[in-house]
Amino acid sequence: MTGAADIAGLPAGLPKRPASRGLASPLLVGLGLALACAAPLGLNGYALYLLTLAGIFALVALGLNLLTGYAGQISLCHAAFFGVGAYATALLTTKAGLPYLVSLPLGALLTTAIGAAAAVPALRLKNLYLAIATLGFGVVLQKIIFEWRDLTGGGGGLALSAPTIAGYELGATGLYYLTLAFVILGLWGAWNVSRGRTGRALRIIKESEIAAASLGIHIARYKVTAFALSAFYAALAGGLFAYLVRYINPESFNVGLSIAFLSMVVIGGLGTIGGSIVGAAFYVIVPELLRGIKDAPGLVFGLLLVVVMVFMPQGLWGMARRLVWKR
Amino acid sequence: MIANLVVGGLAAGCLYAMVGIAIVIVLNITDIANFAQGEMAMLTTFFAYWLLDDLGLAWWQAVSIAAVFGLVQGIVVQQIVIRPLIGSPVLSAIIATLGLNVVLNSLAGLIWGHQTYTFPSPFTFLAPFQVAGVPVPVASVVNIAVSLAIIAGMTLFLRLTWTGLGMRAASQNQTVARLMGVSITKSSAIAWALGGLVGGIAGILVAPSVFLDTNLMAGLLIKAFAGGVLGGLNSLVGVFLGCLALGVSENLASAYLSPSFADAITFIVIIAVLIVRPEGIFGRVKVRKA
Repeated sequence: MTGAADIAGLPAGLPKRPASRGLASPLLVGLGLALACAAPLGLNGYALYLLTLAGIFALVALGLNLLTGYAGQISLCHAAFFGVGAYATALLTTKAGLPYLVSLPLGALLTTAIGAAAAVPALRLKNLYLAIATLGFGVVLQKIIFEWRDLTGGGGGLALSAPTIAGYELGATGLYYLTLAFVILGLWGAWNVSRGRTGRALRIIKESEIAAASLGIHIARYKVTAFALSAFYAALAGGLFAYLVRYINPESFNVGLSIAFLSMVVIGGLGTIGGSIVGAAFYVIVPELLRGIKDAPGLVFGLLLVVVMVFMPQGLWGMARRLVWKR
Repeated sequence: MIANLVVGGLAAGCLYAMVGIAIVIVLNITDIANFAQGEMAMLTTFFAYWLLDDLGLAWWQAVSIAAVFGLVQGIVVQQIVIRPLIGSPVLSAIIATLGLNVVLNSLAGLIWGHQTYTFPSPFTFLAPFQVAGVPVPVASVVNIAVSLAIIAGMTLFLRLTWTGLGMRAASQNQTVARLMGVSITKSSAIAWALGGLVGGIAGILVAPSVFLDTNLMAGLLIKAFAGGVLGGLNSLVGVFLGCLALGVSENLASAYLSPSFADAITFIVIIAVLIVRPEGIFGRVKVRKA
C-alpha cells in the first residue's frame, strides 16, 4: 500500500541474471518458435483457428500489458480499439480497395491516433475513475460504429471475403502465419519498449507519479505514448481478427471483451512480456477444453480464474518465472 | 412529461444507488472493486425468493434471514477469495472477483435454471403517491428511503464506533492502522460482510421491479460503478446522488436527444465531469505521499 515500502522492495539497478537463464531462455524461445511454425502441420481446421485467435488476443494483451502492467493505467476500452482496427482494416480493404497488407497498418495507425486522443481525458484520472472513463470511451466508439450505418453496415455487421496478398489468396494457414509474424514482431517491439527508456519511465510512473515527475519524466507524454502504443497493438490484432472470423459486428466489441483482455493480462502476469502470451492462450484454450463438461463450463472456468489468482497473484508467468528462474 | 421522466429516472437511479453503496463500502475499505457484487446480491435474492415461495415464510422473516445470508456470504467470500490476496496487486483481487462473478452466475443457473421468476413485493398493488400531480410508485419511495437509511446507518457506524473508526483508519494507511492495533483482515471481513448485506437488500428491492433471473444484476453493476464515479467514490452521499443523476440523465437523454445514443451520451457527460473533477462531483482528493 504505502509507496515507500514498494519502492524499497524494487531491485536496485538492473536485476541480476542467474547463470541458468543465459542458456534456458534462447532454448525455450527457439523451441516455442519451432513448435509455432510447425503447428499447422499437425492441427485440424478448428484447432488452427483457435491458435490463430490466441495469437490475435496475445497481440492485444502485449499492448495492454504495456499500458496496464508497466504504466499501471487500467483501460476498459481496448475492445473498442480492437473493433475500430477491425472495421478500419476491413473498410480500407473493401471500400477503398487497398491491399490487405497496406490497410492493416493504416487502420492500426488511425486507431493509434484515436488511442492517443483517448489518453488526453485519462491523464488526470486514476484507478476506478480511469476504468469508468475508458469504459465510457469504449461505449461511445462502439456506438459510433453501430450508428454510422452508411459506412459500417451498422448492426447488420460486415461480411468479408478472404484477403489476398500479391494475388495469393490468404487461407487459414496463411492467416495463421501472418498472425504469427505479427506476434513475433509484437513480442520484439514490446521487449524493446519495456527494456528501454520508455519502459523504465512507465514503470516509475506506476510506482509513483511524484517520483517520476521529480526525475524529469514527462508523465503526460509517456502516458499518451503508452495509450497510443497499446491501441496500435489492439488495432493490428483487430485487423487480423476481422479476416479470421470474416464477419464483424459492433456488438462483439463490447465491455465484456475489454474485461476479458484485462483478465488475460492479469492471469498471464502484469508487467511481463511472456505473461501476455500465456494469458491469451489460457483464455482461448481453457474454455475449449472445458466444453465437454456438462452444464458447468462457466462454473469451472470461473473457479479456475479464482484459483489462479488466489494461488498465483503474480499470474501464471510470474509463478513460472519464480519457479524456473528463481526471481 | 418532464416530471414523469425525472421520476422514472429517479426510480431507476435509486436501484443503481443501492448496488453502488454496496460496492463502495467494500471499495473504500479494501481498495477492491468487487465485480462479483451483483451476482452475490442475485444469489441472496434467489435465497429470499426460495424462503418466500417454497418455505412460505412471511415477508419480514424472509428478508431478515436473507440479510443474514448476505452478511455471511460476504464473510465467506472474503475469507476464501480475498484474504489470501491481501498485499497482492489490487488488480489480481479484482480479476478474482470477476471469476467469482462467473462462478456464482453458473451456480445459480444450475440451481434455479435460466427461466425468469416474478418476485413478489408488498408494494406492487398499492396506489402510487401523487406528488404535484405526478404519480410516484410506492416502491421507488421505499427504495430511496431504504438507501438513505443505509447511508445514515453506515455513516454513523463508520464515524461513531471504534470498529468503524478502525476500518476508516485501515483504508487510509494500513501500516499505521496496524500499529494502532487495528486488524486489517478483520476490517476487510467486516467491510465484505456489510457489502454482502447491503447488496442483498439491494437485490431484494430491485427484483420486484424487474424479473428475477440469474442476470438480475448484470446491467445494474456497470451503471452502479458509473454512477458512483460520477458522484465520487469516497462519499456515500456522493454515490447516491451520482446514481440518481445517472438514472435521470439516461431517461432525459433517451427521450429528448436520441434513444439509441442515450448510453453514449450519459458516458460523454460522465467523462466531461471527470475532466473537470477527476474524483467525481462530491469526491475529495485523497492526498497520498507517493
